[in-house]
Amino acid sequence: MSRQPWLEDAPPAYRGGDRWWLVQAITGILLLVLLAVHLIANHFIVEGGLRTYQDVVAYLSHPFVFVWEIVFLIVVTVHAALGVRSILLDLGPSPRVERIINGVLTLLAAAAISYGIWLSWVIRSQG
Amino acid sequence: MNRGELVPRRRWPAWFDVRGRHVSGWAFILNRLTGLGLVLYLIIHLWVLRLLTQGEARWNAFIALAKTPPFLVLDTILFFGIIYHALNGIRLTLVGLGIGVSAHKRMFWVLMGIGLVLFVLSTWGLWTMTK
Amino acid sequence: MTEQRTVQFRVFRYKQGRERPWYDTFDVTVTPRTTVLEALQFIRRVHDPSLMLRHSCHHASCGTCGMRINGQERLACITRVHDIAGERVTVEPLANLPIIGDLVVDMKAFYAKFTPMAMPLIRHSEFLPEAEPPEGVDTYTRLENCIECGLCVSVCPVAASDPLYLGPAALAAAWRVVQEPRGQNVPEILAQVDTAHGCWRCHIAMECSAVCPSHVDPGAAIMALRGTLIRQHLPWRRKQQGGDAHEPR
Repeated sequence: MSRQPWLEDAPPAYRGGDRWWLVQAITGILLLVLLAVHLIANHFIVEGGLRTYQDVVAYLSHPFVFVWEIVFLIVVTVHAALGVRSILLDLGPSPRVERIINGVLTLLAAAAISYGIWLSWVIRSQG
Repeated sequence: MNRGELVPRRRWPAWFDVRGRHVSGWAFILNRLTGLGLVLYLIIHLWVLRLLTQGEARWNAFIALAKTPPFLVLDTILFFGIIYHALNGIRLTLVGLGIGVSAHKRMFWVLMGIGLVLFVLSTWGLWTMTK
Repeated sequence: MTEQRTVQFRVFRYKQGRERPWYDTFDVTVTPRTTVLEALQFIRRVHDPSLMLRHSCHHASCGTCGMRINGQERLACITRVHDIAGERVTVEPLANLPIIGDLVVDMKAFYAKFTPMAMPLIRHSEFLPEAEPPEGVDTYTRLENCIECGLCVSVCPVAASDPLYLGPAALAAAWRVVQEPRGQNVPEILAQVDTAHGCWRCHIAMECSAVCPSHVDPGAAIMALRGTLIRQHLPWRRKQQGGDAHEPR
């Protein structure tokens, strides 16, 4: 008897473990801290709320803040991409479409992260 | 007897069928909706930040706009989404690791209580501090 | 004379060969004790003998009369019409399983997943000393309680999305074996649930545990499987792997 008879007719892509859930959980926990700091720093610290141009440049020129915001960007993008993936997989794509979904989301996430790092760098260098 | 009323075709993904759902089922659906909303916000947020490369005047003009009441309403909705998604996420992480599974409903309501306090405080802060 | 009232039953109908399902509405006079199953049997006897429904024991033992009553998964035999709010009761077959006709679904796919997981649970005798709860198990929460009614599969949002998802009942059976192996091959069982369509697919909506008429608590079982798999893959557990790393807690 096959080990997983209900998967007998399934394409190979459907077999094997999937622990992306764990990555989603870990990034989620990291976001609790990363996002809380991001929100407080950008909404509730500066006089009058929300940073003006000079405020943003000054904020990002601090090396620790710069690294913190980049880490936040990476973690939030991974978490978002995995979340969207999970919702798209619930629409029942074929293994081929699933591979396309994985590829497109990886590309989009990489693009978002690159764009964010570039943006932060440009802003920082205007200080 | 009355015949003939056709069963309507389903227009929503199956996970969105809310009939007969329990608290944890609603929590799941709301987690997805807030998640989708937050992804949308993330995309818009990153896109708007490009204004920072277009000079001081454009960004400061946008910030002035972002401090108007319609935008603060959007921020309030955002805070709701973040706080709900974060606190429910804590529960999902714990339960998903096999921790506190039997207390998941109690955990939900306790976290939602904390969430309500956080939401009221942050919304109050948002509307009073933004000038 | 007990209080009688007339309730409208809106019953899901489907016959093979028909393009789309439809609803038929029947008026049924019920007493406070009338169950949904009895009302449906009355409809079948009096109004429409072509109504297909499945039932057997009338006391929540056989698990064959599972259906959605006003959108909620229930056993029709223990659901009193009076306990359902409203003057109209909509009765539909279980979701996420193919419909054979009217209120009857095809359980083949359910058993294709459930049976391999539950086979090791078939004990030679429940009266032997080894049937006592073993060390580490306080009481039997007893998957043996599972009546294979399919309510958990019907309510599960993941089963609705992924036809390959192993499903709450089968995963609960797997956990029962891991919890109390009695000589069964636990690593094998864990390997079978450690897939993208096994215990990792669950979205933790916990609807299965909410609707289970038999207190199997499949949701908790799925989470326990995850916990076991994660602990097993912890780096410091991996080193001593060789049987005991697969032991539950």
